[in-house]
Amino acid sequence: MTIKFTAMNKQHIIGVFNEENELLSAIRRVKENGTEIAEIYTPYPIHEAIEAMGKKSRFSFAAFLFGFAGASGVLLFLMYTAVWDWPINYGGKPTNAFPSFIIVTIVLTILTITLASLFTFSVRAKVYPGKKFVMPDHRSMDDKFVIVFFAGSDTENEKLTNLLNEEGATEVYNKELQPLI
Amino acid sequence: MYKTEVRGSLIHGNKNYHQISTDIIAPIDQPIPLWWKAAMGISLLALLYGIVAIYLTVTVGIGTWGVNNSVAWGWEIINFVWWIGIGHAGTAFSIFLLILRQKWRTSINRAAEAMTVVAVGCAALFPAIHMGRIWLAFFIFPYPNTRGPLWVNYNSPLFWDFIAISAYLLISASFWYFGMVPDFATIRDRTKSKVKKAVYGFFAFGWTGSTKEWLRYESLSYVLGGIAAVLVVSVHSIVSTDFASSVIPGWHTTIFPPYFVVGAIFSGFAMVMTLMIIIRKLYKFQDYVTDSHLNAIAKILVFISLIMGTAYATEIFIAWYSGSQYEFFTFFNNRITGDYAFEFWAMVICNAFIPQLFWSKKIRSNLTAAFIISIFINIGMWYERFNIIVTSLSKDYLPSSWTTYHPTWVEIGFYVGTLGMFVAGVLLFFKYIPMIAISEVKGILKATTPGNDHKIHSHE
Repeated sequence: MTIKFTAMNKQHIIGVFNEENELLSAIRRVKENGTEIAEIYTPYPIHEAIEAMGKKSRFSFAAFLFGFAGASGVLLFLMYTAVWDWPINYGGKPTNAFPSFIIVTIVLTILTITLASLFTFSVRAKVYPGKKFVMPDHRSMDDKFVIVFFAGSDTENEKLTNLLNEEGATEVYNKELQPLI
Repeated sequence: MYKTEVRGSLIHGNKNYHQISTDIIAPIDQPIPLWWKAAMGISLLALLYGIVAIYLTVTVGIGTWGVNNSVAWGWEIINFVWWIGIGHAGTAFSIFLLILRQKWRTSINRAAEAMTVVAVGCAALFPAIHMGRIWLAFFIFPYPNTRGPLWVNYNSPLFWDFIAISAYLLISASFWYFGMVPDFATIRDRTKSKVKKAVYGFFAFGWTGSTKEWLRYESLSYVLGGIAAVLVVSVHSIVSTDFASSVIPGWHTTIFPPYFVVGAIFSGFAMVMTLMIIIRKLYKFQDYVTDSHLNAIAKILVFISLIMGTAYATEIFIAWYSGSQYEFFTFFNNRITGDYAFEFWAMVICNAFIPQLFWSKKIRSNLTAAFIISIFINIGMWYERFNIIVTSLSKDYLPSSWTTYHPTWVEIGFYVGTLGMFVAGVLLFFKYIPMIAISEVKGILKATTPGNDHKIHSHE
């Protein structure tokens, strides 16, 4: 199969695989060659593919910060309202009944972490209502494992196409895509 | 690591990825079946009865109920705790099994979480309306007001309860929704209907399945799983402090928080079993919800049943051993014997004895038997809440204020209404949402089916 590629920014080479292990061995070979992968689309999370893209998530650290902010914010609010602003005598109990503030603090901290993390997820992964998205191959959320490359010179493209075919790609085609975000 | 040679395959029928999407999305594409319409009609009728009951309660007042000065908490709090208990399973199921990397959860977690969201919604109605003047319910929010500002009492377990349940509802609903986003994208990309493409496309939030999205999706699900596990334990512990921090005999015990949490997970898992057997039967999901899945739930149920039995025995033992005559009276004269002996023994038999039948492999694998036992557990857990609330309140320290309690038709209507709401909610879920987490099932397919390449999936 010889495909004439024109070297343009929007031109992409798309390899479609039926099996996860074929995709992974293709990724390994492409990485050895030093070719840059634009993006990989899979029907479910595949750790090796995520690692191959060299991405790391700092979610747990962000969640810790949200939790810290949430916990101190809630505690301060409880102290302000119940102790400083308008102390009320409930059956002679101390107004600064610190241990009983802990329960509300724990629950609201969890709520803060959840809502803030979901918001962060939406911002960082760019997943939000009404988003305009680019999906190189519409079967990739069903049963296809799709790998996308930036098109290069004709010889490079042919080499890449051959490599993908050797690794068991069912289809290799080029397509003009809006910049992948 | 899941060993298929020991536990059998988790997905039967030699499926490929495309078949998994097709099978699970099928109920959404097919026309609405007759049984669905009939069940929806009945549940809407029940809901209507509930709406009439709520209307009467709100317009006339709590006087329409059978509660009185002694038994101030009747069916409403019984049903509230019962629903919250059922609502516990979904998140418990997803979260604990997610943290423990249990692959068998993937076929069940979606339905369990759906059940949670609807059940917690039903539960929240009861205390809200029990306040009496629901149009003043916003008083419970700590907001700057013109009455001082008079802030709420943070030492009150009733306020903790309000915070816990609102947070639980919000968090379980978002966790559930977040898990559905990739599956909505699958529907969006497959459907030929323009309406479905637009609607599911909107709810899919532009999901594409790129590594950038999956990376954050996975990290977020573990973060949420980790912190929501704390929430699951805390919510029902807080519900138990509504009772345990009072000085009523039978309530004032330190066993209450773990006892309530375990009881909630017990009733929730039983409801998961009931629901999964129904889903499997009606939608022919035997290949996804296999005997092995139901077997695992049955084993958990038999274990929790032993804990429940131990808790009942501990309560009775302490009532005698503490030497408190009030505790002794409550347990020995007003529960084990006396006016409410039937309710007590119904609780013990349904929760501690009947589930022991699950020790037998024959019964575990007989779906009809498992279904009936799961229903018995839910009835038993309802009686447990009846026992705790009504027996302790009906005969307290002053014999002159002893009284009995019977629900009125309005209270029964309120309960029937929430049952209708629950069934209607679950039916909508059957029809419009993929009942099984498609992407998660695809993720475990190769690792849990014999004859596939295990090595490449060793990233667990």
